Amino acid sequence: MRKRIRYSEDDGKESINVSPLIDVVFILLIFFIVSATFVSLPGVEISRPRTETAESLERNSILFALSGQDEIFHAGKKVKLREVPGLIEKASKDRAKPVVIQVDQWADATIMAKLVAKAGKNNTSVSIATRKPK
Amino acid sequence: MKRKPSSSTGEEAEINVSPLIDMVFILLIFFIVATSFVNEVGLSSNHKDTANSSTENSPLSFELPGSGQVTSNGTPIELRQIAPTVRIAAAKSKPSILVKVSPGARAGLATQVMDQALLGGAKAVKFAPLPR
Repeated sequence: MRKRIRYSEDDGKESINVSPLIDVVFILLIFFIVSATFVSLPGVEISRPRTETAESLERNSILFALSGQDEIFHAGKKVKLREVPGLIEKASKDRAKPVVIQVDQWADATIMAKLVAKAGKNNTSVSIATRKPK
Repeated sequence: MKRKPSSSTGEEAEINVSPLIDMVFILLIFFIVATSFVNEVGLSSNHKDTANSSTENSPLSFELPGSGQVTSNGTPIELRQIAPTVRIAAAKSKPSILVKVSPGARAGLATQVMDQALLGGAKAVKFAPLPR
């Protein structure tokens, strides 16, 4: 009789110790917060040229788009060519981030050349987004 | 004497951590999903910005007039001949390619020229816009 009562009392108090779980989850959370860098998409549909030597680009980069109508987009807004270095400086804050330019294949090549030159002014690495061949 | 039961319950009381864990898990999943969202493939010209004077006497340059052709020193060249041409030049000196683009040339073509040059072993590809 006495034994049974004690057993039931133990069952009631018994619970899984969640402190190590919380520790681990917090560490993961902090890791992902620190490593998270929100990429702002340019916000226009781009028809990328197909290239053979396309390689995977840095994920954490500043994106620009050059549309088929020769307009430059960044973070959903149309920007002017002379604003590009300032935007890169603002977006990279303290650590230098690479720049990826999404170029429409029907855009004017001179605008692209100027954009690449402007973006690469401060030794920033500039890449052109393409598609892999079929 | 009266307080004894209340003090005993005070000792046993614990903070309920379940809502905290719920919230932290939601944040964790959000950050896992939010990272690595954009995955682009593309070309890197990996040139270090050099002085403009050195690009003028670049060993190999291609021109893109507005007509949609590709020329090398004035003579028209097929797109698939670019890679062998660059490969020959790469054997002699350091291959740094200059692509001169005229207004009216398509960016897709310029990108393909750069692609072919990189395929031929070019170290750096630079675009130079020509005035109208």
